[in-house]
Amino acid sequence: MGKILMKGNEAIGEAAIRAGCLNYFAYPITPQSEVAEYLARRMPEVNGVFLQGESEVAVGYMIFGASACGERVFTTSSSPGVSLMSEAISYIAGAQCPAVFVNIIRGGPGLGGILPSQADYFQATKGGGHGDYRLLVMAPASVQEAVEMVMKAFPLAEKYRNPVMILGDGLIGQMMEPVEFPEDLRTEPSNKDEWATNGMSTRGDDKQNLVKSLYLDPTALNDHNLLLKSKYDQMKKEEVLYEPVNMDTDYKALIVSYGTMSRVCKSAVAMLKEEGIEVGMIRPQTLFPFPEKAIADAAEKSSCKIILSIEMSMGQMVEDVERCVKGKLPVSWYGKCGGDVPSPEEIMDVVKERI
Amino acid sequence: MGIHLTGIVILVGNYGSGKTEVAINLAVMSKKAGTDVRVADLDLVNPYFRTRESKGVLADMGIEVVLPPDEYMHADLPILTPAIAGMIRQPASLTLLDAGGDDVGATVLAALANVLDLKEVQMLQVINPFRPNTDTIEGCLRIRDEIETASKRKITGIVGNANLINETTSDIIYQGHDFVNQAAYASGLDLEFITVPADFIEQIDMTYFSCPILPVARQLVPPWIEPKSFVNSTQQPGS
Repeated sequence: MGKILMKGNEAIGEAAIRAGCLNYFAYPITPQSEVAEYLARRMPEVNGVFLQGESEVAVGYMIFGASACGERVFTTSSSPGVSLMSEAISYIAGAQCPAVFVNIIRGGPGLGGILPSQADYFQATKGGGHGDYRLLVMAPASVQEAVEMVMKAFPLAEKYRNPVMILGDGLIGQMMEPVEFPEDLRTEPSNKDEWATNGMSTRGDDKQNLVKSLYLDPTALNDHNLLLKSKYDQMKKEEVLYEPVNMDTDYKALIVSYGTMSRVCKSAVAMLKEEGIEVGMIRPQTLFPFPEKAIADAAEKSSCKIILSIEMSMGQMVEDVERCVKGKLPVSWYGKCGGDVPSPEEIMDVVKERI
Repeated sequence: MGIHLTGIVILVGNYGSGKTEVAINLAVMSKKAGTDVRVADLDLVNPYFRTRESKGVLADMGIEVVLPPDEYMHADLPILTPAIAGMIRQPASLTLLDAGGDDVGATVLAALANVLDLKEVQMLQVINPFRPNTDTIEGCLRIRDEIETASKRKITGIVGNANLINETTSDIIYQGHDFVNQAAYASGLDLEFITVPADFIEQIDMTYFSCPILPVARQLVPPWIEPKSFVNSTQQPGS
């Protein structure tokens, strides 16, 4: 099949199907409602299910239930909807169930607005729900990358028995780009027999699988949290993804930027290069685990005077960047968080002003 | 063989078929040819990439864009401004109505039936064969049927808009033309025109096509891409 032109939201829906996920539960919210619209038409064609929940709270627990039974399942929502799902996400992580959550972020806090934003960085990478859990978070910068990340998210969720989140700003959901789909994963087996409550007779063994997040015994709960921590440590070792841009130069400044914001920055880096100003860029593709080593190493470069965290949020990522840089260089923030995406010229001016 | 549309022209089609790019570029071409043009953004279903984003560029050329009041421009809920009914009652030489995608986007037209029924109206289905749902003739006919049912109005012509945005090639333009030609034949309708990206006009064999061409300078772009200039897109090829 050749390339076709798809809106990010449509491509995300199709990618989930190609990853073998035939269960989609969701509640509509701008700017991601096209996923539901696309899958309402498409799921019946592949004998899949789209069920609209009565609210995002309900959807969160529908995901938990389906996942606990060993079904590949996913949902899409936008910021306030993800807040409502956060309790269930904590339960799902606690009960070690795989599931994929897509957040096409809108402006916040509260109802905010419907335009592009990255203001859910903390929500995605630092919790959102309660307890010591982490999500594996991937942030696509193009519609093609959204497809690839969604398709990768299901096997990763099963590998770690943990929810995976795709964090896209509104532009990722709304813009159209040519895409092609990687090899179909529909026939990939899942490891569900090891843990899902899918019935001993289905599995043909006599092991009872139990899905729960309640551990009243203090030692048992501590052990459980240590087990979860070991999974998050393993993610940090094995799942870090990032894209280096113009890093083989004597860059004077380093930009850290992700999602569609990074595409604006990439244009700015190219335009600055034409003016003789070298700027490096690291684009985290995974936000948790964060590309700690890459940023720490980049900060060692003697030509580099400043690090800029450029985001469509009010400096949420600065904390992670500072953590990596360990005070060796100043970390500065630039961004907008109302819906207007900064232009490449604006980023160029900021870089020139601060180097 | 030019495009000579006048009166009220409604653009419909499935999501992402390119109605808005067609509307903007058709408005600019007609205006440059001396026609008085007004455009109405009837997209109540799409939150981004709407005609309203090109309001400034069009206004600078003397093309009026009829929109909801500024404070509702980014509203979650659909707003249909009463000015639309007014512009239909007293149309410009060319009045373009850019409807939303699919049958849901075309539903708004049924709400305007009382004013539209008093006028001669053309309703054109924009087709990009490189989009899901309109990659087969059956798909195009099904979308047509759904839009006609929702809008309570008949489609009168087909517009071909084959493209893969920045990955468009000459082959895509030729193949797309052949496909929409067949789709128009299967619909029993005329192929009104096809689009060709403005930067392809020089390198493409115009004698290949059986219909007029609308050169398109892409306007609805993400923030890291500059909108194309209209400079090269004002001349109708072959006219």
